[in-house]
Amino acid sequence: MIRHRLFPLSDLLGLGLIHAVAIFSLVLLVAPSIIVVIISFDTRAYVSFPPEGFTFRWYAEVFDKGELVEAMLNSLQVGLTVTLLCIVLGVPTALACVRGRFRGTTALSVFVLVPHMVPGIVLGVAVLFAGSLVGVVPSIWLQSIAITVFILAVMVRTVQSRLMRLDPALEEAAANLRATPFQSLRTVTLPLLMPAILAGAVFTFVEGFDNLSVAIFTHGFRDRPLPVELLALVQYTSSPLVAAVSGVQIVLAIAALVAVSMSIGLDNVNE
Amino acid sequence: MAKASFPKLAARPGVGERLIDALLSGRGIWPAVPAIVVLTVVAVIPFIVLLSLGFSDFVVSRGEIVSQTFSLDHLSNALSDSLYWTTFQRSLTLALSTTALCLIFGYPVAYLFLVGGRWTKRLILVLTIAPLLTSGIVRTYAWLVILGGRGVVNSTLAGMGLIDQPMRIMNTHWAVLIGMVQIHLPVMILPLIAVMSRHDGRLVEASENLGATRLGTLRTVILPLSVPGIGTGAALVFTLSYTTFVVPQILGGGNYLNAATMIYEQVVYSLEWSKGSVSSLILMLTCLVMLVAIALVTNHFTRWTRGSDA
Repeated sequence: MIRHRLFPLSDLLGLGLIHAVAIFSLVLLVAPSIIVVIISFDTRAYVSFPPEGFTFRWYAEVFDKGELVEAMLNSLQVGLTVTLLCIVLGVPTALACVRGRFRGTTALSVFVLVPHMVPGIVLGVAVLFAGSLVGVVPSIWLQSIAITVFILAVMVRTVQSRLMRLDPALEEAAANLRATPFQSLRTVTLPLLMPAILAGAVFTFVEGFDNLSVAIFTHGFRDRPLPVELLALVQYTSSPLVAAVSGVQIVLAIAALVAVSMSIGLDNVNE
Repeated sequence: MAKASFPKLAARPGVGERLIDALLSGRGIWPAVPAIVVLTVVAVIPFIVLLSLGFSDFVVSRGEIVSQTFSLDHLSNALSDSLYWTTFQRSLTLALSTTALCLIFGYPVAYLFLVGGRWTKRLILVLTIAPLLTSGIVRTYAWLVILGGRGVVNSTLAGMGLIDQPMRIMNTHWAVLIGMVQIHLPVMILPLIAVMSRHDGRLVEASENLGATRLGTLRTVILPLSVPGIGTGAALVFTLSYTTFVVPQILGGGNYLNAATMIYEQVVYSLEWSKGSVSSLILMLTCLVMLVAIALVTNHFTRWTRGSDA
Protein backbone atom coordinates (compact mmCIF):
# COMPACT_ATOMS: atom_id res chain seq x y z
CA MET A 1 0.00 0.00 0.00
CA ILE A 2 1.39 3.40 -0.93
CA ARG A 3 0.30 6.20 1.34
CA HIS A 4 -1.43 8.98 -0.53
CA ARG A 5 0.07 12.29 0.27
CA LEU A 6 1.22 15.47 -1.38
CA PHE A 7 4.63 15.34 -2.98
CA PRO A 8 6.75 18.50 -2.93
CA LEU A 9 6.77 20.71 -6.00
CA SER A 10 10.34 19.80 -6.95
CA ASP A 11 9.24 16.18 -7.10
CA LEU A 12 6.40 16.98 -9.48
CA LEU A 13 8.67 19.14 -11.66
CA GLY A 14 11.37 16.47 -11.80
CA LEU A 15 8.89 13.74 -12.65
CA GLY A 16 7.26 16.01 -15.21
CA LEU A 17 10.61 16.49 -16.89
CA ILE A 18 11.30 12.75 -16.87
CA HIS A 19 7.91 12.00 -18.40
CA ALA A 20 8.38 14.73 -21.00
CA VAL A 21 11.75 13.29 -22.04
CA ALA A 22 10.27 9.80 -22.16
CA ILE A 23 7.41 10.89 -24.41
CA PHE A 24 9.84 12.83 -26.59
CA SER A 25 12.02 9.72 -26.95
CA LEU A 26 9.04 7.54 -27.83
CA VAL A 27 7.96 10.02 -30.51
CA LEU A 28 11.56 10.15 -31.72
CA LEU A 29 11.54 6.37 -32.11
CA VAL A 30 8.55 6.23 -34.41
CA ALA A 31 8.27 9.67 -36.10
CA PRO A 32 11.04 9.18 -38.70
CA SER A 33 9.40 6.04 -40.06
CA ILE A 34 6.03 7.78 -40.31
CA ILE A 35 7.61 10.70 -42.18
CA VAL A 36 9.24 8.29 -44.62
CA VAL A 37 5.90 6.63 -45.33
CA ILE A 38 4.27 10.04 -45.91
CA ILE A 39 7.07 11.10 -48.27
CA SER A 40 6.75 7.89 -50.26
CA PHE A 41 3.34 9.05 -51.57
CA ASP A 42 4.54 12.53 -52.62
CA THR A 43 4.03 13.50 -56.26
CA ARG A 44 7.20 15.59 -56.54
CA ALA A 45 10.38 14.01 -57.85
CA TYR A 46 12.54 15.27 -55.01
CA VAL A 47 12.41 14.73 -51.28
CA SER A 48 10.66 17.57 -49.52
CA PHE A 49 8.28 18.04 -46.64
CA PRO A 50 5.32 18.50 -46.36
CA PRO A 51 4.18 16.53 -49.45
CA GLU A 52 2.12 18.17 -52.18
CA GLY A 53 0.05 15.35 -53.58
CA PHE A 54 -0.74 11.69 -53.38
CA THR A 55 0.48 9.03 -55.79
CA PHE A 56 1.45 5.37 -55.90
CA ARG A 57 3.96 6.19 -58.63
CA TRP A 58 7.07 5.48 -56.55
CA TYR A 59 5.78 2.12 -55.42
CA ALA A 60 5.05 1.21 -59.03
CA GLU A 61 8.54 2.33 -59.96
CA VAL A 62 10.13 0.14 -57.28
CA PHE A 63 8.60 -2.93 -58.83
CA ASP A 64 9.41 -1.73 -62.35
CA LYS A 65 13.07 -1.32 -61.56
CA GLY A 66 14.66 -4.66 -62.34
CA GLU A 67 17.70 -4.25 -60.11
CA LEU A 68 15.60 -3.36 -57.05
CA VAL A 69 13.32 -6.36 -57.46
CA GLU A 70 16.34 -8.54 -58.00
CA ALA A 71 18.01 -7.09 -54.91
CA MET A 72 14.87 -7.82 -52.89
CA LEU A 73 14.80 -11.40 -54.15
CA ASN A 74 18.51 -11.79 -53.33
CA SER A 75 17.96 -10.49 -49.81
CA LEU A 76 14.93 -12.74 -49.45
CA GLN A 77 17.11 -15.71 -50.41
CA VAL A 78 19.83 -14.66 -47.97
CA GLY A 79 17.26 -14.14 -45.20
CA LEU A 80 15.72 -17.57 -45.73
CA THR A 81 19.11 -19.31 -45.98
CA VAL A 82 20.35 -17.61 -42.82
CA THR A 83 17.17 -18.54 -40.96
CA LEU A 84 17.33 -22.16 -42.09
CA LEU A 85 21.02 -22.49 -41.20
CA CYS A 86 20.46 -20.84 -37.82
CA ILE A 87 17.66 -23.27 -36.98
CA VAL A 88 19.63 -26.32 -38.13
CA LEU A 89 22.84 -25.24 -36.35
CA GLY A 90 21.42 -23.24 -33.46
CA VAL A 91 18.64 -25.38 -31.98
CA PRO A 92 20.86 -28.47 -31.42
CA THR A 93 23.57 -26.19 -30.01
CA ALA A 94 21.11 -24.70 -27.54
CA LEU A 95 20.10 -28.24 -26.53
CA ALA A 96 23.73 -29.17 -25.98
CA CYS A 97 24.36 -26.00 -23.97
CA VAL A 98 21.43 -26.51 -21.61
CA ARG A 99 20.91 -30.28 -21.46
CA GLY A 100 24.52 -31.27 -22.06
CA ARG A 101 26.25 -33.23 -19.33
CA PHE A 102 29.79 -32.63 -20.56
CA ARG A 103 32.46 -30.33 -19.25
CA GLY A 104 32.56 -26.99 -21.03
CA THR A 105 28.87 -26.20 -21.56
CA THR A 106 29.60 -22.64 -20.45
CA ALA A 107 32.61 -22.44 -22.74
CA LEU A 108 30.38 -23.58 -25.60
CA SER A 109 27.82 -20.84 -24.86
CA VAL A 110 30.58 -18.24 -24.85
CA PHE A 111 32.15 -19.62 -28.02
CA VAL A 112 28.85 -19.26 -29.87
CA LEU A 113 28.51 -15.70 -28.62
CA VAL A 114 31.96 -14.49 -29.69
CA PRO A 115 31.33 -13.92 -33.43
CA HIS A 116 28.25 -11.90 -32.46
CA MET A 117 30.24 -9.65 -30.15
CA VAL A 118 32.87 -8.93 -32.79
CA PRO A 119 31.97 -5.89 -34.92
CA GLY A 120 30.15 -7.06 -38.06
CA ILE A 121 32.49 -5.06 -40.25
CA VAL A 122 35.53 -6.89 -38.82
CA LEU A 123 33.89 -10.27 -39.36
CA GLY A 124 33.05 -9.24 -42.93
CA VAL A 125 36.63 -8.22 -43.68
CA ALA A 126 38.01 -11.39 -42.08
CA VAL A 127 35.70 -13.66 -44.07
CA LEU A 128 36.46 -11.78 -47.30
CA PHE A 129 40.23 -12.10 -46.83
CA ALA A 130 40.21 -15.70 -45.66
CA GLY A 131 37.81 -16.67 -48.44
CA SER A 132 39.86 -15.14 -51.19
CA LEU A 133 43.00 -16.87 -49.92
CA VAL A 134 41.42 -20.26 -50.47
CA GLY A 135 39.76 -19.18 -53.69
CA VAL A 136 36.24 -18.57 -52.35
CA VAL A 137 35.05 -15.38 -54.02
CA PRO A 138 32.29 -13.25 -52.51
CA SER A 139 28.88 -14.58 -53.46
CA ILE A 140 25.37 -14.82 -52.14
CA TRP A 141 26.40 -18.05 -50.41
CA LEU A 142 29.46 -16.58 -48.74
CA GLN A 143 27.28 -13.69 -47.59
CA SER A 144 24.64 -16.06 -46.21
CA ILE A 145 27.09 -18.20 -44.27
CA ALA A 146 28.94 -15.16 -42.90
CA ILE A 147 25.71 -13.55 -41.65
CA THR A 148 24.68 -16.93 -40.20
CA VAL A 149 27.86 -17.06 -38.14
CA PHE A 150 27.30 -13.46 -37.06
CA ILE A 151 23.69 -13.94 -35.93
CA LEU A 152 23.68 -17.59 -34.77
CA ALA A 153 24.08 -16.45 -31.18
CA VAL A 154 20.65 -14.81 -31.24
CA MET A 155 18.93 -18.07 -32.17
CA VAL A 156 20.94 -20.03 -29.60
CA ARG A 157 20.20 -17.50 -26.83
CA THR A 158 16.46 -17.36 -27.61
CA VAL A 159 16.06 -21.14 -27.63
CA GLN A 160 18.42 -21.53 -24.67
CA SER A 161 16.45 -19.21 -22.41
CA ARG A 162 13.18 -20.96 -23.27
CA LEU A 163 14.81 -24.33 -22.73
CA MET A 164 16.05 -23.32 -19.29
CA ARG A 165 12.53 -22.42 -18.21
CA LEU A 166 11.00 -25.70 -19.41
CA ASP A 167 9.99 -28.11 -16.69
CA PRO A 168 12.43 -31.03 -16.84
CA ALA A 169 9.65 -33.21 -15.40
CA LEU A 170 7.97 -33.16 -18.83
CA GLU A 171 10.95 -34.85 -20.45
CA GLU A 172 11.32 -37.21 -17.51
CA ALA A 173 7.67 -38.15 -17.89
CA ALA A 174 8.26 -38.88 -21.57
CA ALA A 175 11.23 -41.05 -20.65
CA ASN A 176 9.18 -42.84 -18.01
CA LEU A 177 6.54 -43.54 -20.63
CA ARG A 178 9.32 -45.35 -22.47
CA ALA A 179 9.89 -42.73 -25.14
CA THR A 180 13.37 -42.89 -26.60
CA PRO A 181 15.36 -39.65 -26.34
CA PHE A 182 14.60 -38.99 -29.99
CA GLN A 183 10.88 -39.53 -29.49
CA SER A 184 10.73 -37.29 -26.45
CA LEU A 185 12.67 -34.61 -28.32
CA ARG A 186 10.30 -34.78 -31.26
CA THR A 187 7.03 -35.01 -29.37
CA VAL A 188 7.74 -33.07 -26.16
CA THR A 189 10.75 -30.76 -26.30
CA LEU A 190 10.58 -29.43 -29.85
CA PRO A 191 6.87 -28.50 -29.77
CA LEU A 192 7.48 -26.64 -26.51
CA LEU A 193 10.45 -24.85 -28.06
CA MET A 194 8.51 -23.86 -31.16
CA PRO A 195 7.64 -20.28 -30.06
CA ALA A 196 11.29 -19.56 -29.27
CA ILE A 197 12.45 -21.05 -32.56
CA LEU A 198 9.86 -18.95 -34.39
CA ALA A 199 10.94 -15.75 -32.64
CA GLY A 200 14.60 -16.58 -33.32
CA ALA A 201 13.66 -17.22 -36.95
CA VAL A 202 12.10 -13.77 -37.25
CA PHE A 203 15.19 -12.04 -35.84
CA THR A 204 17.65 -14.07 -37.90
CA PHE A 205 15.58 -13.51 -41.05
CA VAL A 206 15.51 -9.76 -40.47
CA GLU A 207 19.28 -9.79 -39.97
CA GLY A 208 19.84 -11.82 -43.12
CA PHE A 209 17.56 -9.50 -45.07
CA ASP A 210 18.87 -6.21 -43.68
CA ASN A 211 22.47 -6.81 -42.67
CA LEU A 212 24.91 -4.41 -44.27
CA SER A 213 28.08 -4.53 -42.18
CA VAL A 214 28.89 -8.15 -43.02
CA ALA A 215 27.17 -8.18 -46.40
CA ILE A 216 29.01 -5.21 -47.84
CA PHE A 217 32.27 -7.22 -47.86
CA THR A 218 30.93 -10.65 -48.70
CA HIS A 219 28.09 -10.14 -51.18
CA GLY A 220 28.45 -11.33 -54.73
CA PHE A 221 29.44 -8.81 -57.37
CA ARG A 222 26.43 -9.68 -59.51
CA ASP A 223 23.85 -10.56 -56.88
CA ARG A 224 23.74 -7.45 -54.75
CA PRO A 225 21.48 -7.62 -51.70
CA LEU A 226 18.90 -4.95 -50.95
CA PRO A 227 20.86 -3.03 -48.27
CA VAL A 228 23.84 -2.60 -50.61
CA GLU A 229 21.60 -1.54 -53.49
CA LEU A 230 19.67 0.77 -51.18
CA LEU A 231 22.82 2.40 -49.81
CA ALA A 232 23.93 3.27 -53.32
CA LEU A 233 20.45 4.55 -54.13
CA VAL A 234 20.31 6.73 -51.00
CA GLN A 235 23.67 8.25 -51.81
CA TYR A 236 23.14 8.98 -55.47
CA THR A 237 19.44 9.75 -55.95
CA SER A 238 17.10 12.17 -54.29
CA SER A 239 13.70 10.92 -55.49
CA PRO A 240 11.13 9.42 -53.10
CA LEU A 241 11.94 6.05 -54.67
CA VAL A 242 13.99 5.12 -51.62
CA ALA A 243 11.07 6.16 -49.44
CA ALA A 244 8.88 3.72 -51.32
CA VAL A 245 11.38 0.89 -50.81
CA SER A 246 11.45 1.91 -47.16
CA GLY A 247 7.65 1.81 -47.10
CA VAL A 248 7.77 -1.79 -48.32
CA GLN A 249 10.36 -2.66 -45.68
CA ILE A 250 8.33 -1.00 -42.92
CA VAL A 251 5.34 -3.16 -43.85
CA LEU A 252 7.63 -6.22 -43.62
CA ALA A 253 8.84 -5.02 -40.22
CA ILE A 254 5.28 -4.69 -38.95
CA ALA A 255 4.63 -8.25 -40.12
CA ALA A 256 7.76 -9.36 -38.25
CA LEU A 257 6.59 -7.52 -35.13
CA VAL A 258 3.22 -9.25 -35.24
CA ALA A 259 5.00 -12.59 -35.73
CA VAL A 260 7.18 -12.00 -32.68
CA SER A 261 4.31 -10.89 -30.48
CA MET A 262 2.32 -13.94 -31.49
CA SER A 263 5.18 -16.41 -30.97
CA ILE A 264 6.92 -15.53 -27.72
CA GLY A 265 5.21 -12.27 -26.83
CA LEU A 266 6.95 -8.92 -26.83
CA ASP A 267 7.74 -9.16 -23.12
CA ASN A 268 10.12 -12.03 -23.74
CA VAL A 269 12.20 -10.48 -26.51
CA ASN A 270 14.75 -9.46 -23.92
CA GLU A 271 15.24 -12.84 -22.32
CA MET B 1 15.52 -39.26 -9.71
CA ALA B 2 12.06 -40.01 -11.00
CA LYS B 3 13.53 -41.80 -13.95
CA ALA B 4 15.29 -44.39 -11.82
CA SER B 5 12.18 -45.32 -9.88
CA PHE B 6 10.47 -46.83 -12.91
CA PRO B 7 11.85 -50.08 -14.28
CA LYS B 8 12.48 -50.08 -18.02
CA LEU B 9 10.44 -52.89 -19.49
CA ALA B 10 11.34 -52.48 -23.13
CA ALA B 11 13.98 -54.55 -24.78
CA ARG B 12 17.05 -52.50 -25.60
CA PRO B 13 16.74 -50.84 -29.01
CA GLY B 14 19.03 -51.73 -31.87
CA VAL B 15 22.44 -50.25 -32.47
CA GLY B 16 21.27 -47.78 -35.15
CA GLU B 17 18.48 -46.44 -33.00
CA ARG B 18 20.78 -46.19 -30.01
CA LEU B 19 23.24 -44.23 -32.13
CA ILE B 20 20.54 -41.75 -33.22
CA ASP B 21 19.37 -41.46 -29.64
CA ALA B 22 22.88 -40.88 -28.38
CA LEU B 23 23.42 -38.20 -30.96
CA LEU B 24 20.07 -36.51 -30.49
CA SER B 25 19.46 -36.90 -26.80
CA GLY B 26 21.31 -33.68 -26.10
CA ARG B 27 23.37 -35.03 -23.22
CA GLY B 28 26.63 -34.99 -25.14
CA ILE B 29 28.38 -32.32 -27.14
CA TRP B 30 27.35 -33.98 -30.45
CA PRO B 31 24.37 -31.74 -31.31
CA ALA B 32 26.64 -28.71 -31.17
CA VAL B 33 29.35 -30.16 -33.41
CA PRO B 34 28.01 -28.81 -36.74
CA ALA B 35 27.78 -25.31 -35.29
CA ILE B 36 31.26 -25.57 -33.80
CA VAL B 37 32.67 -26.66 -37.16
CA VAL B 38 30.94 -23.83 -39.03
CA LEU B 39 31.96 -21.21 -36.47
CA THR B 40 35.55 -22.45 -36.60
CA VAL B 41 35.74 -22.38 -40.38
CA VAL B 42 33.84 -19.13 -40.96
CA ALA B 43 34.83 -17.13 -37.87
CA VAL B 44 37.87 -18.46 -35.99
CA ILE B 45 40.07 -19.24 -39.00
CA PRO B 46 39.24 -15.93 -40.75
CA PHE B 47 40.23 -14.08 -37.57
CA ILE B 48 43.54 -15.90 -37.48
CA VAL B 49 44.03 -14.98 -41.15
CA LEU B 50 43.19 -11.36 -40.37
CA LEU B 51 45.69 -11.39 -37.52
CA SER B 52 48.40 -12.91 -39.71
CA LEU B 53 47.78 -10.40 -42.50
CA GLY B 54 48.02 -7.50 -40.08
CA PHE B 55 51.36 -8.68 -38.75
CA SER B 56 53.19 -9.69 -41.90
CA ASP B 57 54.54 -8.55 -45.20
CA PHE B 58 52.99 -10.58 -47.95
CA VAL B 59 52.77 -10.70 -51.70
CA VAL B 60 49.49 -11.72 -53.24
CA SER B 61 49.28 -12.99 -56.75
CA ARG B 62 46.07 -14.34 -58.25
CA GLY B 63 44.37 -14.54 -54.88
CA GLU B 64 47.11 -16.59 -53.29
CA ILE B 65 49.78 -15.52 -50.86
CA VAL B 66 53.10 -16.33 -52.52
CA SER B 67 55.33 -15.09 -49.72
CA GLN B 68 54.67 -14.02 -46.16
CA THR B 69 57.10 -12.81 -43.51
CA PHE B 70 56.43 -11.54 -40.01
CA SER B 71 56.58 -7.79 -39.69
CA LEU B 72 55.28 -5.04 -37.48
CA ASP B 73 55.60 -2.45 -40.23
CA HIS B 74 51.87 -2.08 -40.93
CA LEU B 75 51.07 -1.62 -37.28
CA SER B 76 53.82 0.94 -36.72
CA ASN B 77 52.86 2.74 -39.95
CA ALA B 78 49.29 2.94 -38.74
CA LEU B 79 50.29 4.15 -35.30
CA SER B 80 52.48 6.90 -36.74
CA ASP B 81 49.80 7.99 -39.22
CA SER B 82 47.89 10.99 -37.91
CA LEU B 83 44.89 9.99 -40.06
CA TYR B 84 44.44 6.89 -37.91
CA TRP B 85 44.60 8.87 -34.71
CA THR B 86 42.06 11.48 -35.78
CA THR B 87 39.74 8.86 -37.28
CA PHE B 88 39.75 6.59 -34.26
CA GLN B 89 39.47 9.58 -31.96
CA ARG B 90 36.44 10.78 -33.94
CA SER B 91 34.84 7.31 -33.78
CA LEU B 92 35.47 7.11 -30.06
CA THR B 93 34.05 10.57 -29.35
CA LEU B 94 31.04 9.84 -31.51
CA ALA B 95 30.40 6.47 -29.87
CA LEU B 96 30.80 7.79 -26.33
CA SER B 97 28.52 10.78 -26.91
CA THR B 98 25.98 8.49 -28.60
CA THR B 99 26.08 6.16 -25.61
CA ALA B 100 25.65 9.02 -23.13
CA LEU B 101 22.77 10.59 -25.06
CA CYS B 102 21.05 7.23 -25.53
CA LEU B 103 21.19 6.78 -21.77
CA ILE B 104 19.80 10.27 -21.13
CA PHE B 105 16.92 9.76 -23.57
CA GLY B 106 16.42 6.06 -22.92
CA TYR B 107 16.35 5.96 -19.13
CA PRO B 108 13.15 8.03 -18.77
CA VAL B 109 11.43 5.62 -21.17
CA ALA B 110 12.47 2.68 -19.01
CA TYR B 111 11.23 4.57 -15.93
CA LEU B 112 7.91 5.18 -17.65
CA PHE B 113 7.78 1.44 -18.39
CA LEU B 114 8.35 0.67 -14.71
CA VAL B 115 5.67 2.98 -13.36
CA GLY B 116 3.26 2.78 -16.31
CA GLY B 117 0.13 0.68 -16.65
CA ARG B 118 -0.42 -2.32 -18.85
CA TRP B 119 -1.10 -0.36 -22.05
CA THR B 120 1.80 2.03 -21.49
CA LYS B 121 4.10 -0.96 -21.13
CA ARG B 122 2.74 -2.56 -24.27
CA LEU B 123 3.07 0.66 -26.27
CA ILE B 124 6.65 1.16 -25.12
CA LEU B 125 7.55 -2.41 -26.12
CA VAL B 126 6.02 -2.02 -29.58
CA LEU B 127 7.74 1.33 -30.18
CA THR B 128 11.09 -0.04 -29.01
CA ILE B 129 11.08 -3.39 -30.79
CA ALA B 130 9.60 -2.20 -34.11
CA PRO B 131 12.68 -0.12 -35.07
CA LEU B 132 14.92 -3.12 -34.39
CA LEU B 133 13.02 -5.02 -37.06
CA THR B 134 13.35 -2.16 -39.56
CA SER B 135 16.37 -1.77 -41.80
CA GLY B 136 19.06 0.56 -40.50
CA ILE B 137 19.31 2.20 -43.91
CA VAL B 138 15.60 2.99 -43.92
CA ARG B 139 15.84 4.58 -40.49
CA THR B 140 18.91 6.58 -41.50
CA TYR B 141 17.25 7.67 -44.74
CA ALA B 142 14.42 9.08 -42.63
CA TRP B 143 16.90 11.54 -41.14
CA LEU B 144 17.96 12.56 -44.61
CA VAL B 145 14.31 13.52 -45.14
CA ILE B 146 14.06 15.33 -41.82
CA LEU B 147 17.37 17.18 -41.80
CA GLY B 148 17.83 17.80 -45.53
CA GLY B 149 17.80 21.22 -47.20
CA ARG B 150 14.07 20.93 -47.97
CA GLY B 151 13.39 18.59 -45.09
CA VAL B 152 11.04 18.70 -42.14
CA VAL B 153 13.21 20.86 -39.88
CA ASN B 154 14.09 23.45 -42.50
CA SER B 155 10.60 23.82 -43.94
CA THR B 156 9.10 24.13 -40.46
CA LEU B 157 11.59 26.82 -39.43
CA ALA B 158 11.14 28.64 -42.73
CA GLY B 159 7.37 28.39 -42.38
CA MET B 160 7.59 30.05 -38.97
CA GLY B 161 9.74 32.77 -40.50
CA LEU B 162 12.73 31.94 -38.31
CA ILE B 163 15.18 31.40 -41.15
CA ASP B 164 15.47 32.67 -44.74
CA GLN B 165 18.07 30.24 -45.98
CA PRO B 166 17.80 26.51 -45.26
CA MET B 167 20.22 25.56 -42.50
CA ARG B 168 22.95 23.15 -43.44
CA ILE B 169 22.50 20.29 -41.01
CA MET B 170 23.16 17.37 -43.32
CA ASN B 171 26.76 16.26 -43.80
CA THR B 172 27.76 17.67 -40.44
CA HIS B 173 28.87 16.06 -37.22
CA TRP B 174 25.49 16.95 -35.71
CA ALA B 175 23.49 15.10 -38.34
CA VAL B 176 25.58 11.99 -37.73
CA LEU B 177 25.17 12.30 -33.96
CA ILE B 178 21.38 12.79 -34.14
CA GLY B 179 21.00 9.80 -36.44
CA MET B 180 23.24 7.64 -34.26
CA VAL B 181 21.31 8.42 -31.08
CA GLN B 182 17.91 7.75 -32.60
CA ILE B 183 19.02 4.53 -34.28
CA HIS B 184 20.66 3.05 -31.19
CA LEU B 185 18.06 4.21 -28.68
CA PRO B 186 16.06 0.92 -28.69
CA VAL B 187 19.25 -1.02 -27.97
CA MET B 188 19.68 1.03 -24.80
CA ILE B 189 16.03 0.88 -23.71
CA LEU B 190 15.53 -2.88 -23.97
CA PRO B 191 18.21 -3.97 -21.43
CA LEU B 192 17.05 -1.22 -19.06
CA ILE B 193 13.48 -2.51 -19.26
CA ALA B 194 14.67 -6.09 -18.80
CA VAL B 195 16.50 -5.26 -15.59
CA MET B 196 13.78 -3.00 -14.24
CA SER B 197 10.98 -5.49 -14.77
CA ARG B 198 12.91 -7.89 -12.53
CA HIS B 199 12.79 -5.41 -9.65
CA ASP B 200 10.78 -6.31 -6.62
CA GLY B 201 7.94 -3.79 -6.72
CA ARG B 202 7.75 -3.84 -2.91
CA LEU B 203 11.08 -2.01 -2.73
CA VAL B 204 9.54 1.04 -4.38
CA GLU B 205 6.49 0.81 -2.09
CA ALA B 206 8.69 0.48 0.98
CA SER B 207 10.73 3.50 -0.05
CA GLU B 208 7.64 5.63 -0.51
CA ASN B 209 6.07 4.39 2.71
CA LEU B 210 9.23 5.46 4.50
CA GLY B 211 8.57 8.97 3.27
CA ALA B 212 10.80 9.21 0.21
CA THR B 213 9.56 11.38 -2.62
CA ARG B 214 9.16 9.70 -5.98
CA LEU B 215 12.32 11.41 -7.22
CA GLY B 216 14.08 10.24 -4.08
CA THR B 217 12.93 6.69 -4.73
CA LEU B 218 14.19 6.93 -8.29
CA ARG B 219 17.57 8.19 -7.14
CA THR B 220 18.14 5.91 -4.16
CA VAL B 221 16.29 2.71 -5.09
CA ILE B 222 15.49 2.38 -8.78
CA LEU B 223 18.66 3.89 -10.23
CA PRO B 224 21.15 1.83 -8.18
CA LEU B 225 19.23 -1.36 -8.93
CA SER B 226 19.21 -0.67 -12.66
CA VAL B 227 22.99 -0.25 -12.96
CA PRO B 228 23.44 -3.71 -14.59
CA GLY B 229 20.93 -2.69 -17.26
CA ILE B 230 22.78 0.57 -17.84
CA GLY B 231 26.01 -1.43 -18.21
CA THR B 232 24.53 -3.87 -20.74
CA GLY B 233 22.84 -1.10 -22.71
CA ALA B 234 25.97 1.05 -22.73
CA ALA B 235 28.11 -1.88 -23.89
CA LEU B 236 25.72 -2.70 -26.74
CA VAL B 237 25.23 0.89 -27.87
CA PHE B 238 28.96 1.57 -27.67
CA THR B 239 29.90 -1.49 -29.76
CA LEU B 240 27.30 -0.72 -32.40
CA SER B 241 27.93 3.00 -32.69
CA TYR B 242 31.72 2.61 -32.54
CA THR B 243 31.70 0.22 -35.47
CA THR B 244 28.77 1.54 -37.47
CA PHE B 245 29.02 2.19 -41.13
CA VAL B 246 25.57 3.21 -42.38
CA VAL B 247 24.92 6.42 -40.43
CA PRO B 248 28.26 8.18 -41.09
CA GLN B 249 28.17 7.11 -44.73
CA ILE B 250 24.66 8.46 -45.38
CA LEU B 251 24.30 11.41 -42.99
CA GLY B 252 27.97 12.38 -43.20
CA GLY B 253 27.68 12.63 -46.95
CA GLY B 254 30.58 10.31 -47.75
CA ASN B 255 33.25 12.60 -46.30
CA TYR B 256 32.72 11.78 -42.65
CA LEU B 257 35.48 9.31 -41.94
CA ASN B 258 35.02 7.09 -38.92
CA ALA B 259 36.79 3.81 -38.27
CA ALA B 260 34.24 1.72 -40.17
CA THR B 261 34.08 3.92 -43.26
CA MET B 262 37.89 4.06 -43.28
CA ILE B 263 38.11 0.26 -43.24
CA TYR B 264 35.54 0.09 -46.02
CA GLU B 265 37.58 2.44 -48.19
CA GLN B 266 40.82 0.61 -47.50
CA VAL B 267 39.34 -2.79 -48.29
CA VAL B 268 36.87 -2.09 -51.10
CA TYR B 269 38.25 0.94 -52.92
CA SER B 270 42.00 1.00 -52.49
CA LEU B 271 42.34 -2.79 -51.97
CA GLU B 272 44.95 -2.30 -49.25
CA TRP B 273 44.62 -5.59 -47.42
CA SER B 274 47.32 -5.05 -44.85
CA LYS B 275 45.99 -1.60 -43.96
CA GLY B 276 42.46 -2.98 -43.78
CA SER B 277 43.61 -5.83 -41.52
CA VAL B 278 45.47 -3.51 -39.18
CA SER B 279 42.54 -1.09 -38.98
CA SER B 280 40.13 -3.97 -38.26
CA LEU B 281 42.41 -5.29 -35.53
CA ILE B 282 42.77 -1.84 -33.95
CA LEU B 283 39.00 -1.40 -34.11
CA MET B 284 38.38 -4.75 -32.45
CA LEU B 285 41.03 -4.21 -29.79
CA THR B 286 39.96 -0.68 -28.83
CA CYS B 287 36.35 -1.83 -28.75
CA LEU B 288 37.32 -4.67 -26.41
CA VAL B 289 39.24 -2.31 -24.13
CA MET B 290 36.25 0.02 -23.90
CA LEU B 291 33.90 -2.91 -23.19
CA VAL B 292 36.15 -4.06 -20.36
CA ALA B 293 36.18 -0.49 -19.01
CA ILE B 294 32.39 -0.32 -19.14
CA ALA B 295 32.16 -3.70 -17.38
CA LEU B 296 34.57 -2.56 -14.64
CA VAL B 297 32.64 0.65 -14.02
CA THR B 298 29.36 -1.26 -13.95
CA ASN B 299 30.80 -3.78 -11.50
CA HIS B 300 32.07 -1.01 -9.27
CA PHE B 301 28.62 0.48 -8.98
CA THR B 302 26.74 -2.82 -8.58
CA ARG B 303 28.95 -4.18 -5.82
CA TRP B 304 26.95 -2.74 -2.96
CA THR B 305 23.54 -3.77 -4.32
CA ARG B 306 24.54 -7.33 -5.02
CA GLY B 307 23.74 -8.53 -1.52
CA SER B 308 20.11 -7.52 -1.92
CA ASP B 309 19.85 -9.22 -5.28
CA ALA B 310 20.57 -12.65 -3.88
